Amino acid sequence: MSRRVAIVGAGPSGCFVAQALLKARPELQVDVLDRLPVPYGLVRYGVAADHQGTKAITRQFSRLFERQGARFFGNVAIGRDLTLEALREAYDAVVIATGLAADRRLGVPGDDLAGVYGAGRITRALYEHPDAEPLPPLGPRPLIVGNGNVAIDLLRLLAKTPGELDGSDLGPGPTAWLAGSGIEEITILGRSPASAARFDAVMLKELVRLGGVSISVEDLGTAETEEGTRTLEALAALRGHGTGARRIRFVFARRPLAVEGAGHVTGLLCAAPDGGEERFAATSILTAIGFDGETATAQSGSAVRMAPGLYGAGWFARGPRGTIPDNRADAQALASLILADLDAMPATGQRGELLACLPGVVTYDGWTRIDAAETATPPPGRCRAKIADRAAMLSLAAGGDQKESH
Amino acid sequence: MKIAVLYGTETGNAEMLAEDLAAELEGDHEVVCKNLSAVDPAGFDAATFYILVSSTYGDGDLPASAQPFAKAVEAKAPDLSGIHFAIFGLGDSEYHDTFNGGGEKLAALMTARGAVQVGERVTHDASGPDMAEDLAFPWARAVVETAANLVGEDA
Ligand SMILES: Cc1cc2nc3c(=O)[nH]c(=O)nc-3n(C[C@H](O)[C@H](O)[C@H](O)COP(=O)(O)OP(=O)(O)OC[C@H]3O[C@@H](n4cnc5c(N)ncnc54)[C@H](O)[C@@H]3O)c2cc1C
Ligand SMILES: Cc1cc2nc3c(=O)[nH]c(=O)nc-3n(C[C@H](O)[C@H](O)[C@H](O)COP(=O)(O)O)c2cc1C
Repeated sequence: MSRRVAIVGAGPSGCFVAQALLKARPELQVDVLDRLPVPYGLVRYGVAADHQGTKAITRQFSRLFERQGARFFGNVAIGRDLTLEALREAYDAVVIATGLAADRRLGVPGDDLAGVYGAGRITRALYEHPDAEPLPPLGPRPLIVGNGNVAIDLLRLLAKTPGELDGSDLGPGPTAWLAGSGIEEITILGRSPASAARFDAVMLKELVRLGGVSISVEDLGTAETEEGTRTLEALAALRGHGTGARRIRFVFARRPLAVEGAGHVTGLLCAAPDGGEERFAATSILTAIGFDGETATAQSGSAVRMAPGLYGAGWFARGPRGTIPDNRADAQALASLILADLDAMPATGQRGELLACLPGVVTYDGWTRIDAAETATPPPGRCRAKIADRAAMLSLAAGGDQKESH
Repeated sequence: MKIAVLYGTETGNAEMLAEDLAAELEGDHEVVCKNLSAVDPAGFDAATFYILVSSTYGDGDLPASAQPFAKAVEAKAPDLSGIHFAIFGLGDSEYHDTFNGGGEKLAALMTARGAVQVGERVTHDASGPDMAEDLAFPWARAVVETAANLVGEDA
């Protein structure tokens, strides 16, 4: 009787764990489930719409389901449709790879004012996550707080001209929202000095290709590390770039003290490097300062065993830091741990199917029908037209199944 | 012919392609497929044809799994004369200036030690319309054919 592993969450971490397990033991039965009808987590709903190259890793994942024997069970939420206990009963090992989706709050007075939005909320809406809240108006002067790649993603998308979004999979609603934003100036503000900013130099370099902007960079300072030097060089190359109407302003070393405004954001009060206070006017504030949520254990790590037969992977295990390659390396380490544990475990008897008989489950075939519908006739300048509505996804996914059974 | 397909990767695209290439060539040749992270540069063998597959990261740099190999080549400075290799790169044209810098660096590293490159360095573009294997399979058949007359000749 081959061993059975269930992976909760079909994001990159869950898929990479499945990939590593099946590469080592092709005979394992690996089931990957997700609360959404569609797989791939933040590769679909976080990686920027204009970074299709990065999304190309889904080709590896489709192979996982098409050739390596993993099964997908979409529209199954642990905690809603099925208890974790039931899942653990039915499988030799269960991996939690549910990510961390909640936006970390700014943690200063006024951070709950209208007009303050987390990057996760905005990106989910931009990329048409079925549970996204609507895209809010940002006004002419949005301010982005954060110095990571997500902050740069937001900045780039807000700054792009409509033509610069060609080749992306940005939907018509978000496209119209961006085109009609009326943004005049985007401030991107970080707490740390420029040399300690967490953005990758390549992400900054990409901004040089923006046609509609003019960029200013304040307070570059000096760097002590090699990485810091690279960041400063990339920022220096941006300084003074472009003569476009939309102004981009990089500001560093400002510690947010309070969001100001009566009922709605009017600005951000910060502690400046000279010890004084400085006020930045803003019509909205987008916080890209990381994510939060329930994690595996107090002590995060790459290969986490939470209990016998229960493991944590990806952002759920390591915390909301780290790129797709980091998660792949972690997934491989976790797979080795799981395989060693399985080898040491006494044989288990025959067990019935748990997931396949749940109502409303979307199989991998169901997903391929959604995928085919999305890619069949995308509008001009787009490579995909995402279906955002859960019911529409489910009916597309079911379509073929019903026909087949007749 | 003995063929070793060696890959450098971060998110696994180069690994998948390397495995596909190995499977494609297996019928007619004796093929092994290995991560560059597990390759000792002092262990190259003139009777084997090396097919390198590498992606690009950072600023036109090698992917993480190829970096220890590059460091070891620099540190050990092995004599690679008589070694034949071909190289296939994976990149993304979104990264304009450094498109496929990883493949270029890896090729330079090999030739600097005396190894001979067979065929052109072909590059897959993650933002382009082609599937990597659609470019790589015909390329591999061609370089393998050329290499058949070269590899092991003077070994
Ligand atoms: C906006 C944004 C942009 C990013 N861009 C990049 C980038 O360009 N390059 C890069 O390398 N990294 C990028 N990252 C980081 C990358 O997305 C993460 O490293 C990676 O997605 C983490 O993978 P994961 O599988 O742990 O989590 P996720 O990708 O979040 O996947 C978790 C999955 O679990 C499912 N799930 C949640 N709860 C349940 C439940 N109760 N039951 C069943 N299923 C559940 C979710 O629906 C989801 O599909 C970005 C992150 C963000 C937020
Ligand atoms: C952070 C990052 C930086 C990258 N830098 C480059 C680059 O400078 N040049 C390039 O051609 N491709 C670059 N790429 C694209 C990758 O090389 C490409 O996606 C490749 O298919 C990845 O293959 P792998 O999965 O084997 O690592 C980059 C990708 C990422 C995510």
